[in-house]
Amino acid sequence: MPEEATVETVEVTPTGAKILAVVMIPTIAALNYVGGVLVEMLKAPIWGDTWATMLGTLISGFVVGAAGGFLYNIIMAFTVWGLPNWVWGFANVAIALITWFMMKMGWTDLKKPMTYIMAIILFGFIYPIFTTAISIGLFGGGPLWKPLPAAIYAAVLSSTGNFWLANYIQNVSTEVPDKVISYIISLIIASRVPKRFILAK
Amino acid sequence: MGISLSLLKRTAVEVETFVQRLDGRVKFLYFIWASILVYIFYDFILNLIFIIVTLLLAIYARVAKPIAMTLLVIIVPWIAIATPILSLPLGFPWNKTIIYYIKFAGYEIPVYLEGLGWGITWPLRIGVCISTAMLFYLTTNQARLVATMFKMKVPFRFIYMLIATFQLIPLLVDEANTIFQAQLSRGLRTDVGIIKKLYYYLALVIPLTLSALNRVQIRAIALESRGFSAPVTKTLMYEAEFKWMDWIFLSTIIVATIVLAYVYITYGYSPIAGLEYIWG
Amino acid sequence: MGEAVVKVENLTYSYPRRENVLVNVSFEVKKGEVLGIIGPNGAGKSTLCKALNGLVPHFYGGRIGGKVVVAGMDTMKHTVAELSTKVGLVFQDPEDQMSGLALTVYEEVAFGLMMLGFPREEIDARVRDAIKKVGLGGLEGRSPFELSGGQMQRLAIATVLAIKPEILVLDEPTAQLDPIGKFEVFSVIKKLAEEGSTIVVVEHEIEELATFADNILLLDEGRVRAYGSAREVLEKVDQLRKYGVDPPSVTELTYILNKEVGTDFEIPITIEEAYKIYAEALGVS
Repeated sequence: MPEEATVETVEVTPTGAKILAVVMIPTIAALNYVGGVLVEMLKAPIWGDTWATMLGTLISGFVVGAAGGFLYNIIMAFTVWGLPNWVWGFANVAIALITWFMMKMGWTDLKKPMTYIMAIILFGFIYPIFTTAISIGLFGGGPLWKPLPAAIYAAVLSSTGNFWLANYIQNVSTEVPDKVISYIISLIIASRVPKRFILAK
Repeated sequence: MGISLSLLKRTAVEVETFVQRLDGRVKFLYFIWASILVYIFYDFILNLIFIIVTLLLAIYARVAKPIAMTLLVIIVPWIAIATPILSLPLGFPWNKTIIYYIKFAGYEIPVYLEGLGWGITWPLRIGVCISTAMLFYLTTNQARLVATMFKMKVPFRFIYMLIATFQLIPLLVDEANTIFQAQLSRGLRTDVGIIKKLYYYLALVIPLTLSALNRVQIRAIALESRGFSAPVTKTLMYEAEFKWMDWIFLSTIIVATIVLAYVYITYGYSPIAGLEYIWG
Repeated sequence: MGEAVVKVENLTYSYPRRENVLVNVSFEVKKGEVLGIIGPNGAGKSTLCKALNGLVPHFYGGRIGGKVVVAGMDTMKHTVAELSTKVGLVFQDPEDQMSGLALTVYEEVAFGLMMLGFPREEIDARVRDAIKKVGLGGLEGRSPFELSGGQMQRLAIATVLAIKPEILVLDEPTAQLDPIGKFEVFSVIKKLAEEGSTIVVVEHEIEELATFADNILLLDEGRVRAYGSAREVLEKVDQLRKYGVDPPSVTELTYILNKEVGTDFEIPITIEEAYKIYAEALGVS
C-alpha cells in the first residue's frame, strides 16, 4: 500500500445520548417487570422489581434510572395496581436517587463492608420513611395484604399502639431484604456490563 | 404477575361497544374524576356504587372478567386482613365506638366502628381507582391510546416510551422463559434454599439483562434512521375526535359532579355510611 | 449509469473509544448501481454503512475527516433525520429494527412516514406499495413479531422502501437468517437491483453477492484493500484469502486449477459463468 495521506479531522459531539435514553428507559421499565416475573417463577423471597431501576442508574445515570422506574410504576398502575399506585413511581425515583448517591460516594464495591452497611441504612431504614409517608397518605396506612408483613404490623400496633411506627416497621421488614438484595444484584450485573454501554459518569 | 401479563398482551379480536368507541380522553377523565372523588368522600357505600357502575360499564364492554379478577385478588384479601387487625382491640389508635362484642373462649372481644370503617373504606377507595383505570386501559386500543395522548399534548418521546414498554415486556418475558427453560435443563431447581434461589435468580437475570442492553443501541440507531428525531409534527393514522356519545358521557360526569358537590355541602364527607373522619 | 448518488472522499473516522475505524476510504456509487462491501469482521463495514446516513458521526460523536455526500447532501451538514429520507438503512437483526410502536405489519411500515410527518393518504398508498414490493401482501394485519425471520427482514426492507430513499443500504441483511430466510431476502434484493434501485450491501454470502453486485469494495482494518468491478475484485483469490474473505468456490476452484494444474480457464465468479466455461472446455453444450 502507498503511504497514507493524513486527512484533517474534526471532533464531533455525539447527539445519540437523547435517543439512547428514549430506548433505554423502556428497557429498564420492562426489566423491572420481568425481574418480578422471574421472582414468581423461582418463588424467590423478594419483590425483585427494582434492581433494574438501580442498574439503569448505575449504567446510564440518575435520570434514566429514575425515569425507567417511574415508567414501570405508571404502567403497573394503569394495568393491575390501580391509579393511586403511580405515586410509587416517586418511590422508584427515591431508589434511583439513593443509588446515585451511593455511586457518588463510591459505595459500590461488594468486597467492602461499607457498601452493605450503607445499603442497609439507606435502603432499609431511610427509604421506608418515604414509603411509609406514601402508604399512610394515599393508602390509609393499613396492613399490607400479605400475611407476614401484616402479622408484623399487627404485633407492633398491639404492643405499642403507635400507628405510624407499625406502618414504618412493616415497611422496614419488607424493604431491608428486598432493596439490599436488589442493590447487590444490580451491582453484580453492572460489573458485567460491557464498558461501551456505560453512559453514567 | 400472571394476570398482568395477559392484560398486557391484548387479544387480536376486539369487541366494539359504545364504551370502546368513547374517546380515550373521556374515559381517562372518568377514572381521574372517580379516583379524586373517592378520596374527597369517606364513604364505603359511595365507593361501592362507583365500583358497581364501573363494573356495569365493563360488563357491557365485555372486559369485566379481568377487572373483577383483579379486585378479587387484591381488594378482597386486603379487606379480609385489614378489618380484623384494625377493628379488634389491637391498638388502632382511633378506635372508640364499640358496635359489637364477639364471644370467644369466655371473653367478650369488642369490635370498633372506626377500625372497621377504615378497613373497608380504604381498600374500596383503591378498588375504585383500579377498576376505573382498568376500564380505560382495557377499552382503549393502542392506536386510540396514542391518539388520546397525542391530543393531550403529551410529547411524542413520552408516548413512544410508554408504548415501547408495552411491546418490550412480552418480548423480554418470552426471552426470560427461554433462558429459564435452558437453565432448568442445566439443573436449575425451584425447591431450594433462599441463597441458592438468589443465585439462580442471578443466573437468569444476568444473561437477560445483557442481551436487552445489547439491543438498546441498535434499537436507538434504527429509530434514529427512521426519522424519529425529525423536527416535524408526526402523522397519526388514527385521530381522536369527540362524537355525540362523548358529549353525553361528559355531561353525565358534570351533572354527577354538581349533585355530589351538593351532597357534600349538605351531608358532609360520609353521606351514606355516616362514618366519622379520623386523623388529618 | 448516471450521476453519482454516493460520493465518499478520504473518509477517516474514529469512534470516541476506538481509533481509526475508517482510514482514507474513497468510492462512489452511481444511480442504479449495486455496490457490495466485503471484508473480515471488525473491518469497519458497519461503520461505513452508518456513515452513509449520518449516524457516523452525528449519533456516536468521534473524530471525522474527508467527505461523504449522499444525494447531493453533505452528511456533516445534515441531521440523521434529514438524511433518513434519502438513505434507507437495514440492519442485521430484524427484530431490533422494529419500531416498538406498531402492532401490525401495516403500522410498522407506516412508522417512518408517520415520524417524517407525511400526509395520511400518501402514507397509505406508499405502505401498500412497499408491502407488495417485498411480497408480504396479505400479512398487513399480522403482528411483526409473529413473522418468520425472512419475513421480518423483508418487512424491515419494506419500512425503508416506503420512504422511497435514493439509496438503500443493507448491513448484512441475511446474517441472522436461516437458509429459507436468506433465499427470500436475496430474492427481494435481486428484484430491487433489477428494477434499478441504487444499493450498497454488506454481505458475507459472496456467492450470492457475485450474482447481483456491479462493484465490490474490500475493506480491512478500515482501509480499502480493493475496489472495482465485481469480477476485478473477486478473481483476485490470493488477495481475498489474505484478508480472510472466502472467494466464491467456483472462482477458487478455477484459480487453483489454473495455478496448480496449468489450465487456462477464464475465471468465473458465479455458478452460471462456471457452468458455461466448463461446458465449453468439456465440449458439452
